[in-house]
Amino acid sequence: MLAYTLRRVLQIVPLLFFISLVVYALVALQPGDPLEALIFANPRITQEEIEELKKAYGLDQPIHIRYFKWLGLALQGDFGLSRTYAIPATEFIFQQRLPMTLLLSGTAFLLAVVIAIPIGVYSALRKYSLADYVITFLAFVGYSTPVFWLGIMLLLIFAVWLPELLGRTEPIFPPGGYVTPGLDPAEVGFWPYLKDRIWHLVLPAFTLSVISMASWTRFMRASMLEVLSQDYVRTARAKGLPERVVVYKHALRNALIPIVTLMGLAIPGLFSGAVLTETIFSWPGMGRALFDALVEKDYNVAMTALVFLALLTAVFNLLADLAYAVVDPRIRYR
Amino acid sequence: MAQNRIETPWTLAWRRFRRHRMAIFSLGIIILLVALALSAPLLVRLGWIPDPNLQPEGPNLAASYFLPPGTPGHPLGTDELGRDVLSRLIYGGRISLLVGFTVALSSVLIGTLVGAIAGYFAGRAFLFFAGPASPTYRELLGRGGLAVVLLSLVGLGTALYLFYRTEPGTALLGFAGALLAAYLLNRLPGLGEKLARALWYGFSWALLLGFAGLIVDVARTLAEPGMARGDLSPIELAGYYLAHLGALALLAFGVVGRIALDVDVVISRIIDFMLSLPGLPILLVLSAFMRNPESALGKLTASLFGEAASVAIIILILVVFGWITTARIVRGLILSLREQEFTLAAQALGVSETRIVFRHLVPNAIAPIIVDATLQVGLAILVEAGLSFLGFGIQPPVATWGNMLTGAQDYIFYAPHLAIFPGLAILLTVLAFNYVGDGLRDALDPRSRV
Repeated sequence: MLAYTLRRVLQIVPLLFFISLVVYALVALQPGDPLEALIFANPRITQEEIEELKKAYGLDQPIHIRYFKWLGLALQGDFGLSRTYAIPATEFIFQQRLPMTLLLSGTAFLLAVVIAIPIGVYSALRKYSLADYVITFLAFVGYSTPVFWLGIMLLLIFAVWLPELLGRTEPIFPPGGYVTPGLDPAEVGFWPYLKDRIWHLVLPAFTLSVISMASWTRFMRASMLEVLSQDYVRTARAKGLPERVVVYKHALRNALIPIVTLMGLAIPGLFSGAVLTETIFSWPGMGRALFDALVEKDYNVAMTALVFLALLTAVFNLLADLAYAVVDPRIRYR
Repeated sequence: MAQNRIETPWTLAWRRFRRHRMAIFSLGIIILLVALALSAPLLVRLGWIPDPNLQPEGPNLAASYFLPPGTPGHPLGTDELGRDVLSRLIYGGRISLLVGFTVALSSVLIGTLVGAIAGYFAGRAFLFFAGPASPTYRELLGRGGLAVVLLSLVGLGTALYLFYRTEPGTALLGFAGALLAAYLLNRLPGLGEKLARALWYGFSWALLLGFAGLIVDVARTLAEPGMARGDLSPIELAGYYLAHLGALALLAFGVVGRIALDVDVVISRIIDFMLSLPGLPILLVLSAFMRNPESALGKLTASLFGEAASVAIIILILVVFGWITTARIVRGLILSLREQEFTLAAQALGVSETRIVFRHLVPNAIAPIIVDATLQVGLAILVEAGLSFLGFGIQPPVATWGNMLTGAQDYIFYAPHLAIFPGLAILLTVLAFNYVGDGLRDALDPRSRV
């Protein structure tokens, strides 16, 4: 197991190398170079000055050379400056944007777990009942819904229709942002501030969680049904154990095994899939940062975010495999 | 009598499928959507719906913007430019379905091909590289030695030319052409196989030479400024010489060595690699990259597809990621199917490998492939809508469900219908494909019996 873990950890290194290579090539070959804005802002710039700027930015060199230069600096932790914000790209991504994305994705993940598992179990225990059909239908709708449209619809309902219906001028949930602008915890006190933050989190977190929620409900139901038909569950029942013990101790624990892997694999998707949700709710997270960086050709920020997301994906793929072995003693990795 | 009729697996599957009410209902919806999409230009010509890009003219323009649903002549209202929402919705459906079907079909075809090759040839390594002094190459020289050497040199020369003297796009095309030439040579009777291998080894030499050259090139360029100033640190200096030594060692190995590659290992590594890429962000980057009017690829797509270039680009980048799921499914199935007796029987009869793979193995894996194809249609429609929504997909004025939603969020206070209908259309379509996929999964499962 230890040898397996070590080997997998070591495999991440070449993987990240290739990913950064491909991503760097794609980003560096984007339409227009980072100098475009500078040239645009100064109409009297001469061709020589452009060449000099290119040299200063290292843009006169072929792309593979630029990549290795970037790699050399990146390995020392230097991912360059953000052109838009004039601070180090790592500081921008990790200190300003990552916490916001962690908060959003983490809440969405918890929400999906807390809702999907009980509902999936319930659906399996009441197989072919009306409730089961309704849940199945909702799950199908859940993963057929475009995330961004769901976000817009929630805004429509909670910021437009419901306030109208209730005769309120204030929206039920705020239409965007992560905190009411200008709200200072020192001024209003901790609890009102916390309430404001949570209020802002509700709609984005729910929007982001819907797809995972829907698919995990389906998987939980299938996994539970599979386990409930096993011999050891019949044995447990035959021994006269109370149904509660049979379901929650014998069946549920085993049914959760495949779900654990699924959840581990879904976490990187929650990060990179947050682009759409963050756009709808103007949430200042990493997905939004990456999107803006691509639009504004802020390549250092885009590279930092992409490499970090790739690392995250690789790490969680590994963790999911390891968790699988931990929760299921039948699995042995060599 | 009905009992005497022979029931093929397909009639059985159809009977099971019919019992899945939601699936049948969804199939009806899909047929309706397809019919609507196909007949859209006809509807415009009949005057039933206006042209999707028709903007009103006249003195009081503001009166025809943001009309609510139910307005006479505009059953679903008009948008921020006074264009008819229903008409744009129908035209958007054309694009969504086109993207969905094309992506699913191409992904599944490519995925099946790649997965079948990986599964069938797993565990059998192919000689990818054989140096000019390696035993394999010397053996090849035996009869018809001169032709072999000549072809190898042709391969080497072509490859080096492609690498160093042409654009990446041309190089890729040239490389594909050379592979095709090798394949055709291989089919020639007699010396054909020998000559094909000679050509390929020539090519592989160029790969090795190019790789060694790249290492030296990178090391030199990185060290250059420091060398000129004379302030290279010992580590940098060591790296510089190590790179040269490495390149030399590589060349020495290249003379006598051989490299065998297992196709399955290569394909599986590529799949693992693709799965580690953060999906949506990479799609954004790819989309921006392909639309670059300055790059060879951007020029190519623009010249080939003109107005519809953004549609073609979306289809292409969705296929780049779409084949993976199919390839994994097919690979797994083929791995187990190739161990079964009927494969052994076919091999014993001397059936060619191409025929075994495509006539004996792939048809046995068809059920999961069909289900996967159906689900991929829905997924492609969803992703296309998301990308178009962000402005990285299909560009206006071509109407799609995704880009109709782009501005809609700004208008939800006074024109909510602009946000509601395109999204409902996406939801309905994707839901229908998912239900059909679910029905097919049950119907094509041989374990379930009517």
